[in-house]
Amino acid sequence: MSKDLLAEATRALRETEPVSEFEARATRARVMTGLHQTRVRRRTRLAFLLPIAASFVAVSAWGAASGQARVVLDRLERFVGVTPHTSSSAKPAPRKLPAVPALTARSPEPAAPAPSPEPEPVPAAPAAVAEALPVRPTASASASARPERIDPTLALYRVAHSAHFVDHDPVRALAAWDAYLSAAPNGQFAPEARYNRALSLVRLGRNQEARSALEPFANGAYGGYRKAEASALLEHLAP
Amino acid sequence: MTIFGLTMVTEQALASEAQLGDELILRLQRAEPSAVAEVYDAHHAAVRAFAKRLLGDAASAEDLVHEVFVSLPQAVRKFRGDSALRTFLISIAVNHARHYVRAAQRRRRAMSAYGDTETREPTDPEHEARRKELAELLTRALDTLPLDQRVAFVLCEVEERTSREAAEIVGAPEATLRTRLFHAKKKLRLALETEGLG
Repeated sequence: MSKDLLAEATRALRETEPVSEFEARATRARVMTGLHQTRVRRRTRLAFLLPIAASFVAVSAWGAASGQARVVLDRLERFVGVTPHTSSSAKPAPRKLPAVPALTARSPEPAAPAPSPEPEPVPAAPAAVAEALPVRPTASASASARPERIDPTLALYRVAHSAHFVDHDPVRALAAWDAYLSAAPNGQFAPEARYNRALSLVRLGRNQEARSALEPFANGAYGGYRKAEASALLEHLAP
Repeated sequence: MTIFGLTMVTEQALASEAQLGDELILRLQRAEPSAVAEVYDAHHAAVRAFAKRLLGDAASAEDLVHEVFVSLPQAVRKFRGDSALRTFLISIAVNHARHYVRAAQRRRRAMSAYGDTETREPTDPEHEARRKELAELLTRALDTLPLDQRVAFVLCEVEERTSREAAEIVGAPEATLRTRLFHAKKKLRLALETEGLG
């Protein structure tokens, strides 16, 4: 019974009256308008995108041909704060905490250096320091005649780092740490520089100054950084 | 000879028709409005009839027809020429139907809530009233089906297409389509019985 009803209903649906000619024509007009709008949209999009794409290609080609692309990319990476993977020359010194110095009274072993960045052409340091601390030319430094700009305070840090950890010259190291700290009192490596400066003072036997330089570390002014070592040194330096 | 001559003419006609068809497809791919207009004039009635039967609502059916022909230049890139262009148009309609089925259902619910049903003067009052009532009843029952079963029922039962053709339209195996049809019929019978007309 229900089967017949389903068949009857199906037939009824099949025989629904056709749409009027007017509706069909109205839809046709809508279709044509829709197509026209789509074409206009596509043309407008092309009119915007083509010049942009052409400019991009032209600038890229010019950059690649003139060698400016690398410089721009380096600047961009530095601006964004991304470390480039390939060029180690532009890599800033990683902020690695120096190792704990050996606590001998005579010469506390200097902290293991933060990995020394590859030498770069050093920009002008303050005149006095530059005279006192001639930068040792290295092969890569002399070879790197690239016109790259380096953070001047970073160069000062490198000079101090070299004097302290490579040459083990506390006089030059102290002057260099002072130079760095006067150039960047709140710089990226200021805590390390202050601590290393204190070690230089200890090495030079200027105990009074060394104590006042170490006290902030022992008091936790820099958090836990070098707190224990500073306290131990202060005990040794106690009059 | 005459028969042979006739055969030759028919082959020539078929070849030129195929060439025209290919040309039309190329023009469609270039989104030429005249090509879309040509296809619309040739096939709109079939697409509209299917849309109306599937959705059960004239306004939504018009929207679906519009959608089919506007999207045709884009869709025709996938047309391989294995099926007739009309079949391809119906398959586009099936692919776009989901949204319009929902719209039609919403519209029907709103209409029934306000008691506003289409009223037209029937030519044979009793027969017309009964036919209209049954068609509306079946449309409401179709609303309870999943879309794939609904499409299968409309294609095979209402439009009386072969299961092979219907399977080609929906892009599913014939066996799948027959299963969908079986379940659709079962549910529709139950729905009609529930309505108290079984």
